[in-house]
Amino acid sequence: MTSERNQAPNWMAPVLGVATALLVLAVVLLSVRGAVSSAAERLVHPKAERPQVAVAADAEEAYCTPRFKEVLERVLHSCGLTEQGGRRGCRPADVKTFASISDEDFNALFAPLKSRGGVIMFDVGKDELDEGAKKLLRDRWMDRKGARYFFVVARASKTGTSASNRALSHRRANSVMYFIKELASDDPEVDKKVGLLWLGEEFAQFSKEYCSWTNSRPDKKCDEDAINRTAFVSWVDCRL
Amino acid sequence: MTPSLSMLGPKSRVFAIIALVGTILGLIFSAVSTLDYAAHLDRNLHDVHCSFIPGAPAEAEAEGCRAAMYSAYSAVLKEAHWGGLPVTLFALGAFAFFAGFSVYLAVAGPRASAVAVGFFAAVATTPSLVSLYMLFISLVRLGVVCETCIGIYISSALVSLGGLMGLLTLRKPRPSPGQEPPPARPRMSLLFPVAWAAALGFSTLLPSAVYATQAPDHRPYLNQCGALKRPPAEKDQLLSVTPPHAVKTAILIQDPLCATCKALHQRLVTEHILDRLSLELVMFPLDNSCNWMLDRPLHPGACMVSKAVLCGHERALQVLEWAYDEQDYLTRAGKRNEATVRAVLQQRWGSQMVACVDSKETAERLNRHLHFAAENGIAVSTPQVFLGTQRLCDEDTDIGLKYTLKQLAPEVLP
Repeated sequence: MTSERNQAPNWMAPVLGVATALLVLAVVLLSVRGAVSSAAERLVHPKAERPQVAVAADAEEAYCTPRFKEVLERVLHSCGLTEQGGRRGCRPADVKTFASISDEDFNALFAPLKSRGGVIMFDVGKDELDEGAKKLLRDRWMDRKGARYFFVVARASKTGTSASNRALSHRRANSVMYFIKELASDDPEVDKKVGLLWLGEEFAQFSKEYCSWTNSRPDKKCDEDAINRTAFVSWVDCRL
Repeated sequence: MTPSLSMLGPKSRVFAIIALVGTILGLIFSAVSTLDYAAHLDRNLHDVHCSFIPGAPAEAEAEGCRAAMYSAYSAVLKEAHWGGLPVTLFALGAFAFFAGFSVYLAVAGPRASAVAVGFFAAVATTPSLVSLYMLFISLVRLGVVCETCIGIYISSALVSLGGLMGLLTLRKPRPSPGQEPPPARPRMSLLFPVAWAAALGFSTLLPSAVYATQAPDHRPYLNQCGALKRPPAEKDQLLSVTPPHAVKTAILIQDPLCATCKALHQRLVTEHILDRLSLELVMFPLDNSCNWMLDRPLHPGACMVSKAVLCGHERALQVLEWAYDEQDYLTRAGKRNEATVRAVLQQRWGSQMVACVDSKETAERLNRHLHFAAENGIAVSTPQVFLGTQRLCDEDTDIGLKYTLKQLAPEVLP
């Protein structure tokens, strides 16, 4: 009987149980309500800007100096590359005008493309691509990586008249362009990717040291005439 | 009678105390999980608590807990509410009821009616049954176990153990000579269990009702994450996968070695959404050996595995799903070197696959996928989903997936 007297009254247990349940439930509800309301408030009035995420873009390599980009941009605008149905390619006179740059400086701009590009070689007075030229062009075209623009800079040696060399240089550039169009037959925008320059004999002739660049006739003799009967081709990893 | 069973005589309160400990732990783990879930209603990414230790700090990675949180099983009514109603809300409500009932049984001791002890034993098994089901899903469907969830499972087991041990206190003890038999437990109407069951149901549902009424409207935010500048064209050479029941075109930007891509793919499969999408897959490996947009490899080996997916041709989806299944293994192989990844591909798919992976044509095709991303100026991140050309926000592809699809493309929901 003594132990029963020490026990809590009969009503105590259910009251404590109900009170506990209600108290816990109240805390739970307040916590849930607070967390959801707080999230809703942050949604409507965000405290901080969302972290910026990098955006996918074309490649931009270190050689894309302001001067390089200036020439690149002028080629794109002046030679009709960025305009639908516009003129395709740049003549030597155009290049001289828009580039406002010496022959040596012009060639130096392309020096960083030594390993990226290739020199397509032609026979004297000819504009046909041989198998070696097609292979090199195919390899270079497929090695696009992150580049957006492909440059073709055709030349002619000083053999013959300036006018005939200008025309020859133009035909060489076109030969390369036609083959590229075959390679990219499923790309309706290939015209917007390829920048054509034909320099004839009047501007930016290669010196013999350019014979060390990758060319389509590695086993043939290369001299100052041969290295200018060419079209230099390369993807250019620059954004504009 | 063993000493342990002797502790469970008619006057014992041990069982109620065990159940009470279980409910307190259960409340803590469920609350942590619920609050983590609710924090994401602001559409931002938050750290997640993922530990057996109550009060341990939140982590940014928390892979297992995040996978569980983003899974199809983490919440109910996901089509009606953005993110749905997390299942831990129901656990919170139920544990609140069990807390009250455990206190009642602990205080009442032998004066608790047999009906109350029996009722508690019956309902206390339900958390364990639910926990077993969720554990099964974690192991079999998700392949990961979330530490906070395990905390809830253990808490549930303690509640159930306490409830069942309570039944032992109802046994009639053999009277010892000269000792007064213990007083009989009071009788109680059978209407009480009906009322308690109703209270349990009410308590279980109430937190989710509060959550649902307070949750913000996400509809204005669903189409705020941009769009493609141009739709895919033939020149992009994307991977097209069109199941027979496809009703909507979607573009998926994927990296086969990205864990969140794998999780998204699993969600799309589990929710039966993938079968209803005409997919254009864009392989976007976060690996700088082919992807110039990165200065270091986030997922080394991903370029090669992406090429393998492209080389899968009509089995491309099968190769992608294999890569997801073997993601850990391939990731380890990629960290070693490309030759190891090549060996894994050779072992599973044969030498023709490896020849295709190493070809210039495949490299060029993968490059076209990357240029498709560059021309569209999409974010350098994976996964990304575009419905038609409209981009789904990242948060709408994880916990908000079903709600977002219900709003933007209800036809893809089964």
